[in-house]
Amino acid sequence: MKQSPRYNQIQENMKPGAFTAHGFLGEDDRALKDIIRQDDADVEKLDLSHAQIAGRMQYFTELGKELLDIPVVVDEIYEVLVDDHRGEIPCPFADNQKAIKTNTRFTNKKLGITIYWSDLNIHMIRYHGFYEGKGSFFRNDPQKLAKALGLI
Amino acid sequence: MKEILVTILSITGISTVLAVLIIIAEKFLNNYGECEIDINDGEKKLVVEGGSSLLSSLASNKIFIPSACGGKATCGLCKVKVLDGAGPLLPTEEPYLSQEERKEGVRLSCQVKIKKNLRVYIPEELFNIREYISTVTEIKDMTHDIKEFRFEFKDGEDIKFKAGQYMQIETKPYAKVREKATRAYSVSSVPSDNKAVELIIRRVPGGLCTTYMHDYVKVGDEVRMTGPYGDFYMRDDSDDYVFMAGGSGLAPIKSLVMDIMERNLDKKMIFIFGAVSKKDLYYTDFFREVEKKNRNFRYVPALSRPEPEDNWEGETGLVTEVLKKYVEGGKGKHAYLCGSPGMINACVNVLVDSEFDKKNIYYDKFS
Repeated sequence: MKQSPRYNQIQENMKPGAFTAHGFLGEDDRALKDIIRQDDADVEKLDLSHAQIAGRMQYFTELGKELLDIPVVVDEIYEVLVDDHRGEIPCPFADNQKAIKTNTRFTNKKLGITIYWSDLNIHMIRYHGFYEGKGSFFRNDPQKLAKALGLI
Repeated sequence: MKEILVTILSITGISTVLAVLIIIAEKFLNNYGECEIDINDGEKKLVVEGGSSLLSSLASNKIFIPSACGGKATCGLCKVKVLDGAGPLLPTEEPYLSQEERKEGVRLSCQVKIKKNLRVYIPEELFNIREYISTVTEIKDMTHDIKEFRFEFKDGEDIKFKAGQYMQIETKPYAKVREKATRAYSVSSVPSDNKAVELIIRRVPGGLCTTYMHDYVKVGDEVRMTGPYGDFYMRDDSDDYVFMAGGSGLAPIKSLVMDIMERNLDKKMIFIFGAVSKKDLYYTDFFREVEKKNRNFRYVPALSRPEPEDNWEGETGLVTEVLKKYVEGGKGKHAYLCGSPGMINACVNVLVDSEFDKKNIYYDKFS
């Protein structure tokens, strides 16, 4: 599907070397609009919203930040470890938002799933419904993410 | 068929004419000619070609304003007071400017396009910032994700900086990265070693500059940098100092401690270094040696999650708890902190609770 020039520009921002060395798209060669549309449909099928998913991610990240480099165990099921790096990263959607380079390692011990996300991922999911392209390091399929977070 | 061809040709012709008109119009409309930048009420006057950003125009005249993002309006460091001629505030600047700064005419110099004469105010100390072309003479692996680089300046040029300050490195295009990037790194060497600087750089996964430095830069390569920048430097008016760092935040602390030692200042110092496990510790032997040589200096490495094989017998747990244990009664003491925003915020609270005066707590947040 054809997308607007604005989305073309955002997709350029997401390519390797623009905002980060590896970019946000992985090996996904679909138009950005299509990536978002597909994930949007998947989230709807789960009867969830992007805000709910992002809110749950934020909840765990904030718990992790309280203990700095030490893993936090929540409800005996989840383990959260937050790690931060120097600098801030702007949102590729060019909305004048930026995030500290904080990464969260999240483990659902019951399901044996470990996933990673950055503070920027939380923002992009909440405000842009963007979960990154397939093959990207921080890509989390909505279904896998919702399951790991205990939302479904 | 003929009609279709005529239509296509007509549309193509009209589009071409319009495109040419736009190019011509841009050439004339965006031609701002020569503009004057008046700095500090006539102290310095520059004549520049209009159309570029204030940040780049100043840089091409060897006036370097701090900027960690290279002019993309994402770091908010390149603030300059523009007294006249800047035009309206852009939405890209708004997140970085307080109401007070807006009233005073502070702008992000990377976002101010020079279209007419400007009057600006630039703090005197920024005139000392210079551009250096250096050669990488040594690269040391400090931990699994931290390297230390030594850069010697070309033609024996020297640098004057204060311990604790930082430099800005410019990367060259590499791999799929087509544009240059600029990032700030604290100096770990001492000011007396003035023909070179050493920088400690921790890899940021996917980071534009750290990927370049860790994976592409080799000994013998030429690197362009500017500096020195920053107000995280030693204030001599205390006899008791607390230093606290995590990760690559060790760099300015090493410079500060060594500078105090070199100048034979009689100061009591404690340095608490927070790391995750033993594999994240570095310069341990170095600071142990300093401890042996200087009875006023104490080094306390603290691990938040030591591995069983670390056989660690030192301090463990939250870095804030370790700080509480070692720092009592902050009256008259100075604290210097360098690390992640989370660590700094938590440690500042501990220090304030320990009666440190907030104005005596200096920090360099990783942001």
